[in-house]
Order: sequence, then C-alpha cells, then structure tokens
Amino acid sequence: MKYARVGAVVAAAAIVVAACGGATGGAKPLKIGISLPLSGSSLASAGPADKGARLAIKDFTLPGYTITADVKDHAVNGVHDPQQGAKDMTAFAADPAIVGVVGPFNSSVAKVQIPISNEAGLLQCSPANTNPDLTKGDAGKQLRAKQPDKINYVRVATTDDIQGPAVAQYGFNKLGLKKVAIIDDTETYGKGIADAFAAEWTKLGGQVVGREGAPKGTTDYTAILTKFKDAAPDAVFYGGVTATGGGLVRKQMPQVGLDKIAYLGGDGIQDGPGSVEGSFINIAGAAAANSFSSVAAIAEYPGKADFDAKYKAAYNEEAGAYSASGYACAQILLQAIKTAASKGDVTRESVRAAGVDTNTTFETVLGPVKFDAVGDTNQKIISLYKTDLTAASGKGDWVFDSQVDYK
Amino acid sequence: MTALPATNDAGRPSVPAGRVVRLLVLLAILGGIAWLAVKNMGAEQATEQLFNALTRGAIYALIALGYTMVYGIIELINFAHGDMFMVGAFVSLTFLGQILGLEGAVTNIPLLIALLAATFLVTMAILALVGVTIERYAYKPLRNAPRLAPLITAIGVSFILQNLVQLVYGPYQTNSPKIFPDTWVIQVGSATVPVLSLFIIGVAVVLMIGLQLFIGRTRLGRAMRSTAADRDAAALMGVNINRTIAITFLIGSALAGAAGVVNGLQYGVARFDDGFQAGLKAFTAAVLGGIGNTVGAALGGFIIGFIEVGATAMGYTRWGPAIVFGVLVIVLVFRPAGLLGQQLGERA
Amino acid sequence: MSVVTDLSPKAAGGGRMTGLRLTASRHRSWSIVLGIAVVGAILPVLAYLPPFSLAQPANAWIDGYTNAGVFVLLALGLNLVVGVAGLLDLGYAAFFAIGAYTYAYVASPFGNSVLGINLVESLGTEVGGLVFWPMLLVGALVAATFGILLGAPTLRLRGDYLAIVTLGFGEIVPIVFLNSDQLTNGTNGIGGLLRPSLPIIGSFSAINPWPYYITMLVLVSFVMIMCYRLVESRLGRAWEAIREDELAAAANGINTVTVKLLAFALGASTAGIAGVFNASKLVTVSPDQFTFIVSFTVLSMVVLGGMGNFWGVAVGAFVIYTINNVLLKTLNQFFDQTGFPILKDIDFIQLQFLLYGLALVAMMLLRPEGLFPNSRRKRELHTAITADEQDSLTTAEGTTEEGQR
Repeated sequence: MKYARVGAVVAAAAIVVAACGGATGGAKPLKIGISLPLSGSSLASAGPADKGARLAIKDFTLPGYTITADVKDHAVNGVHDPQQGAKDMTAFAADPAIVGVVGPFNSSVAKVQIPISNEAGLLQCSPANTNPDLTKGDAGKQLRAKQPDKINYVRVATTDDIQGPAVAQYGFNKLGLKKVAIIDDTETYGKGIADAFAAEWTKLGGQVVGREGAPKGTTDYTAILTKFKDAAPDAVFYGGVTATGGGLVRKQMPQVGLDKIAYLGGDGIQDGPGSVEGSFINIAGAAAANSFSSVAAIAEYPGKADFDAKYKAAYNEEAGAYSASGYACAQILLQAIKTAASKGDVTRESVRAAGVDTNTTFETVLGPVKFDAVGDTNQKIISLYKTDLTAASGKGDWVFDSQVDYK
Repeated sequence: MTALPATNDAGRPSVPAGRVVRLLVLLAILGGIAWLAVKNMGAEQATEQLFNALTRGAIYALIALGYTMVYGIIELINFAHGDMFMVGAFVSLTFLGQILGLEGAVTNIPLLIALLAATFLVTMAILALVGVTIERYAYKPLRNAPRLAPLITAIGVSFILQNLVQLVYGPYQTNSPKIFPDTWVIQVGSATVPVLSLFIIGVAVVLMIGLQLFIGRTRLGRAMRSTAADRDAAALMGVNINRTIAITFLIGSALAGAAGVVNGLQYGVARFDDGFQAGLKAFTAAVLGGIGNTVGAALGGFIIGFIEVGATAMGYTRWGPAIVFGVLVIVLVFRPAGLLGQQLGERA
Repeated sequence: MSVVTDLSPKAAGGGRMTGLRLTASRHRSWSIVLGIAVVGAILPVLAYLPPFSLAQPANAWIDGYTNAGVFVLLALGLNLVVGVAGLLDLGYAAFFAIGAYTYAYVASPFGNSVLGINLVESLGTEVGGLVFWPMLLVGALVAATFGILLGAPTLRLRGDYLAIVTLGFGEIVPIVFLNSDQLTNGTNGIGGLLRPSLPIIGSFSAINPWPYYITMLVLVSFVMIMCYRLVESRLGRAWEAIREDELAAAANGINTVTVKLLAFALGASTAGIAGVFNASKLVTVSPDQFTFIVSFTVLSMVVLGGMGNFWGVAVGAFVIYTINNVLLKTLNQFFDQTGFPILKDIDFIQLQFLLYGLALVAMMLLRPEGLFPNSRRKRELHTAITADEQDSLTTAEGTTEEGQR
C-alpha cells in the first residue's frame, strides 16, 4: 500500500517534471509594440501603417520564438495625443516581452517617446515621422541624452527638410509655377514643412507672395484667400494636414475666385481617395482637381504589385500611403530580432544594436534600407502625387506622378 | 430684449444722449477704419473683405442673438448654445445630403428657393425642439439653485451634444451640400461679391428684424420683455413664466439652427467641435453689444466679423482668436454693459 | 442663555463631529500624511495582483498612478477656487501651462538661452536636476503671481461673467505660447528638460517609476495639508462667506478683493506645482498640452468629487483619471479582441466626454454636492428643506450656537 502510494507520487512528479521540461523547451514569446493613433481622424492615415506592420509580423517565423504584435492606440478624441503616447511607451518599456516598437506616426508624439525608449534601450522604428529634429542636430541629440551612444530610434520615412524642398522643386521646375502663397496650420509638422518649402522656393527664384498661419479650428479661410488673391499667386501651398484645414482651404478657393490655380501640400493632405471620410479629396470635392502632394517614402518599388495584392488579400482593402512603410518597419525589427537570435540571446540590447547597425542593409518591401549614424534612412526618396478625380470609380484619388531620389 | 431706457433720479426717462453719442463715435471709428482699409488694400480688396466680414459677422450675429435672449431672461450663459449651432449645421447637412441626396449646386432657381426654405424650416424646427427639451429637463429644475449649478449643467450638455454628434458622424469634417452656387457673383465696382454672401447677410437681417418686431409688437414678446425685466412682477401680472422661458429658448435655438444652415451653405463642411469656438466668439459678440440687448448682439456679431477679417488683412490671422477673446476680457472688465446695454450692477 | 459647555470642534456646517472625523480634524496634518501613506502603499500592491496585473505591467500602473497624481494636484487647487471660494474658473489650464513653462525656462537649453543663463550646460543633468526642487516653489510663486494678474480683472464680475473671462484667459494663454516663437519655440515646444535628481539616487528615470511616484505622494500630502489648513483658517471661512453671499460678507468687514485674489493665487500655485512636476516627467512642454479640455476635465473632477471636500476631490480625480485611461482603454481592447458584435466598434475613449457630460448633468440635477460632499455644501445646495428638518436643525445645534454668541 505504502509503496503504491509513493509510486503514484513519484510517477505524478515525473509527469510534472516532463511537462515543465517540455514547456521550457518550447517557443519563447516576444512582442513587438505598435504605437499609432488609430481612432477618429487619425485612422485614415495611420491605420494602413498599423495593418502593414501587423501583416509583416504575422508572416514572419523564427524557430524557437513566437512573435506577436501588441497594439496601443494613442489617439485621444480622434487626435494623436503626446501624453498618451508617453504613457504607452512607458507601458511598453515596463513589459519585458517587448523587444521593439513600430511607431509613432506624428513627430510631436515621437518627441516625448524617444527619451523613454532611449532610456529603456528599446528599438523603435517610425514609418512616417518626418520632422528632422527627431534625429538631426542638437535637437536630436537632446532626445537621446540618456544614452547618447546607444541610439535606438530609426525611421523609414525621410525628413521634411527634404520633403518641403522636393515639393518646391516639383512646383517650380515641373509645373512652372512662379508665385506661391503659403498657409500653415501653426503646428509642428505644418509649420516645419511650410518653412522648408518657402526657403527652397525662394532659393529657386520663385516668389512667396503671402504667408499666413491659421490655427486648427479655423473654418473661414475666405479672408486669407481674398488677401492672397490681390497678389495673383500661381499656387497655394498648405503646410499641415487635412484635419487642420488642408481640405477646407482648397474647398473655399473657388468661392474667392482662386479655383484655377494649383494647390500644393506635403504628405499631410495625401490621405486616400475621396471615398474615405474626412480625407482631402472627400472634403475638397470638385475643387480637389489640380492639387499636388508628396509622400516621404518611395512609391514605385519593385514588388509593389505583389505587396498590394498581399495586403488586399489580407485586409480586403487597397493599401494606403504608409502601408508599405509600416510593413518595412516591422520587417526591420524582425530582421534585427533574427540577427540577435543568431548571435545568442534575444534581448532588448541585442535587438537594438542589430537594428541601428549602420553596416547592415535591411531587405524590406521598400527596397534595401540602410540607416545612418543618427537613424535616418539612406533611402531619401520623395514621391509626388496629383489628384485625379476620375480615379477610384469616380470618387477621386491621388495618383502617383514621379519620385525623386535625393541621395 | 431691447433695453428699457434708463431713468434718472426723478423717475422720468432720460434722453439716451449717451447712447447716441456712443453710436456716433462707433460709426466714426468704423468710417476711419474703412478709409484706412481702402487706402492700404485698394477699393477692390477692401470691398471684398468687407463682404467677407459681413458674412462671417452675420453668422456670429445669429448665434449671439440666442445667447443674449437667454441671458436676458434667466441670467444663464448657455454654454451649450454654440453646440446648438453645430447641431443645426449637422441637421441641415443630413437633411440635404442624406435625406434629399443632394451633392452640389442647384441652379434651378425655384427649386433652390424651395430647398432653402425647406432646409431652414426643418432645421429651425428641430433645433427649437431640442432647445426646449434641454431647457425643460436640464435647466428648469435648477432655476432656483445657486448660480454654479446651471452653469455646470450647461457645460455638461455641451459635452453631450458634441459627443453624440461625434459618435454618429465621426470626428472628421463632414461634407455639407453647398446647394447655393458659388458661381453666382455680382460686381460691385471692380470687386466680385458672391450672391451667397448677400443671401446670408440678408437672411440674418431679415431674422433680426423679425425678432425685433416679435419682441416689440406681440404679446409673447411683451411677456418676454417683462419676464426679463422683473420675473416676479411679470408673474403677478399673469405671465406664464415657464412658457415664456421655453419660448425664449425655442426662438434662440431656432436662430442658432438658422446660423447652422447658413454656415453649411457657406463653408460646406461641419465638424463636431465647430460649436465651441464659434460659440465663444458669438458670446463675445453678445457681450460686446450689451448682453440682454438683441440689437447689440447683432451689432456685436458684425463687429467681431470685422475684427477677425481685419486681423487677417493686417497679417495677424494666427492671433485672431486671441484678439477676439482679448476683446471679451476687456469689455467684461471695463464695460460689462457693452456698447448698447445698461450699466448693470456688479454683484450677484 | 445656556452656558457654553460644548467646545468640541464643529464640522463645517454645524453639527458635532464624531469618531474618525473628530480625530482627523484634531490631527489634520498627521491624518493626511497617514492617509496618503496608506493609499500610497496599497496602490502599488494592487498593481501586482490580478486583474490589474493582467491589464498592464506593474511599472506601467505605477506610472499611471503618478500621472493621475498630477490631476489630483490640479483638482485640489481648482477646488480651492471653485469649491471653497465659489469662483468658477474655466481656464485653469493656463496656470498649469505657466508652471510648466517656468520650469522649462530654467531647466532646458532653449529656455536658458531665452533667459540668458547657462544652467543646464554648466551643471549637467545630475546636478542640474537638483534645480527641480526649488523650482517647485518658484513655479508655484510664478503661477500665483499670474493668478493674481488674471484674477484682478474679474474682481467686480458676477459668477457667469467671471467664468467667461477665465475661459477667455484659458484660451489666450496657450495661443500666446503658441505664437511667440522667439520666446517659447512656438508649436514645437521646449524639449530637453532636466529630470529631477537627488543626491544619492541620482537623476530620475523614464522607466523606473518609483522616484516620481514617491515624489508625487509627498507633493499630494503637502498640497492637501496646505489646503486643509487654509480652509480651516480665517481665510477659509472668508472664502466660504463670499461664496455664499458676497455682499453680506463685505458688509461684515471681509476684504473681498484680497480674499478673492488669494483664492486665485493659491489655487494657481497648486497648478504651478503640478506643471513643474509634469514638465519634468514628460521632459517637453508644448502649447497643445494645455487645452481647454484639460481645464474642463479638472473641473469635472472637482464637481463630481464634491466641491469643497478635498479628500473627495482627490479620490474623484484619481478615480476619473483611472477610469479614463485604463478602464476605457481596456474595454476597447477587450471588445476588440473578443470581437463582440456591436461593442467592438464603439470607441470607449471617444465616449469619455459623453460620459463626463452625462455625469455632470446628472450630478447637478440629482446630487450637486458631489459624490463625497461637505455637509454644509449639501445643505446649501438642497435648499428646499422640510419643516421637520428645520425643526431638528434648531434643536440640535441652534441652542448651542446661540449660546456661543
């Protein structure tokens, strides 16, 4: 009797040990954080990046590890909120399974997130940040101040100090416009790109015949446009996004008699076809014709058709402007994890080091990407788009025009 | 309410000399500004900006009327009033866009007139209903409570309205069919003025005149004036206070609805948070003109329109809101009675 | 006239206090410190237990508590202005901004260059971070000064007008910060702020939440003690007097000008402290951190928590913040992942202001004194009292109070 009982206990213990042993021999769970504004008016622009990133994570396998996405939405009331972004990044930093983060979308959020991820040594890749101060110069250094030798932030989009001038060159050289009036939305991105555009425009020999700042919440641009009309501009440049007025300005231009002239903008107004609620084409309607914008990323790359097909199969919708960028960022993180795994243990530090290594060329859907010493991509391509109101079954869409390589 | 003339110590109505003088000074200032504008911008620009200012001012005036009427009668700043304007914009865009399925300009004049009339009627009626309901359930129970309570309730109602609209329509701008064609313009000298601007100014003026006639000549109007002047005495004279207050809200909300329709025609978009800034500026207009005074509210609305356009003309667009709110603070601090109002007592 | 025998402290609003409230009021400061210490110890423990530990890691919770603490500080200060003194301030975020930017000027390279000093460069992060502690006081003083400046024009205004003027100021201040590029770096904001540091511990970290958390507990205790001291002093009684009837208070010799200005100043100083703390944690300040939404959120917390009651307001602020930032987000994620039919499409975070609005209206209609009211406030707001209540009031307290006169 006694022996039987002892035997039963030993057997049970053996089974438990075997089960535990089996468990530790199984896959190690890793997580990639995704920090993007995914509700309200931000969803149209950032949603595709999120979907792209998740697609890459889903498609990836690494023996010995299971990698999942942990998505945190930092939009409050439909708008990206830096404080929420900071909280989300702190939460990611506190979670030991997180070894990398894709995001954010807006530069103002990146400014509060980078100090946190830098201190945590957490690799962070943004698909869409374009503000140069996030990486370059003293401003960039300030963000990395806690661990200045261990940069952790990289991005696949190029910067506004290239994007703004690219639009200027397109407008001046290709479209032959000479006089431009500029409106910016007084926010970080809008003012930054408008300043870069204006500087380049003057350098090319063009004239800036008017410049006004109209904070978000402005609904009436007729007064500003009437004032511009006096100076007879060939085009109006809008520095900002659709939500802060990009669409409204264009919509009101016919009312003032300025509908014939061109409209230029950055990636802030390139937010999808007219069928998407709240997008530039949707708001501007018929007035959206003769409008031009840019995206701080490559548009025509080998493999685009395949990617678009894969994306559509997965999500039953067309890929957005930043879908491929989101996918690429995730690919970079995953490749860094793979490199770290091949060298030994996957830790935040090993992933970070692999991700920011300036000697590594990452094979991404956008093509080969290398990062410089401060985390900027070597792929300095700006893609230019124009509106075509007959596209997307009559609803209107942005169609690719050309891309310029600024390396 | 139209302000009652001030009486001097002997109880005899004093000649409102002060008010006439103030109006003359105001006109002189406006004239001076107009002259400067023409000199700097040229007559064409000045004329066009003038109409821009009048159009914008007309919208503020319509909203301001509601604020001033409600304040005159129950001494409550209805924070939710700006959001009523926003709701009006959404009602009109739903009516035109989703129910009637329109998208662009309607050039057939009789049809256009019919559509406009229908939109105004429907929007104003719905807003009137909403206004009366809010008054009945959120403000009436607190009529005798300490001042803080209805103010906070009004803030709560404002949140509710904004977020209900946001839930239904989303946080992005929603298109409102611009059925009034932009292409119809008339030439005033060398300036091009859209007929739409004239229409909006006309609507505002007609509604304001209508309101003045209503308040001055009808029984209900008299009831409103007496309730505003002295609620208890009015009650003793047989005025049904509850009904009078409800009607005040009805009219004020309907006017905000009209402002919403007009806003949709002019700008073609609406968003759930349009009401906050517009409401605050309209309140500034009401205060500037003299809170409780309907003519003052209209005047104030136009002045605010001028201030904003003037700021743009001088290149200070991004300071525009700060200037308007600065005007608000200055008027409230130095002359709370506004331009046309009586000197109010300063304590609660 | 009966001889006065009952010298026990009276609760605000008459009536004798018993038990816990009595002990608490006798040893106010200690009870606050103890209370905060207890709460401060329990909360982190909760963070390690399910279901909390399942929602997010413990460190994230503690970081969240600290962020909630910022709102607690703001709510305490606004409670002084709105709840105790009865001045409806709708632009409170302006003082929050002023505190934050004051810290930014002293503790960042950009700010230093504007001021013409060289603090950050010369001292470095470890020593420079020590400047945080005196800056708490400086921030409070600067904010208090602006409280007086912005409050002065409102002195002669009635409740509603006062509210609107403060709302106007609340809008103007961020716009000024936004447009003054040379002085404030405009929309880009001022970055690179020093984190606080202490002699042995060194500089506070972005990922270790404990130093910030404990500092916040200390700040909350300090501010609460100050608030209670003020309310239980002559100044506090003067505030309650002007809240209830300004004319009568003035007739009784209270200098309403000084009293009101002090309310604004002291309320603003709390926001100044919160601003300095928040800036040192986020290491950047920008005008879009100080919108009217912040003002309204804090106001909602004060109203819902119980105007006039500091513990009530503190608890209310904490609860509302946590509901907002954790519960609603978790609901979102939960419904998203499980794929509930209708619920998964609802963005609960978007709903938050709808819920605030409904709560404010419901509160004002049903329980205007808030969730944790002050008993005098409760009586004041439910002005219709029945004959029975009238009787019981006079017999229980009336005689003693009359005797004291």
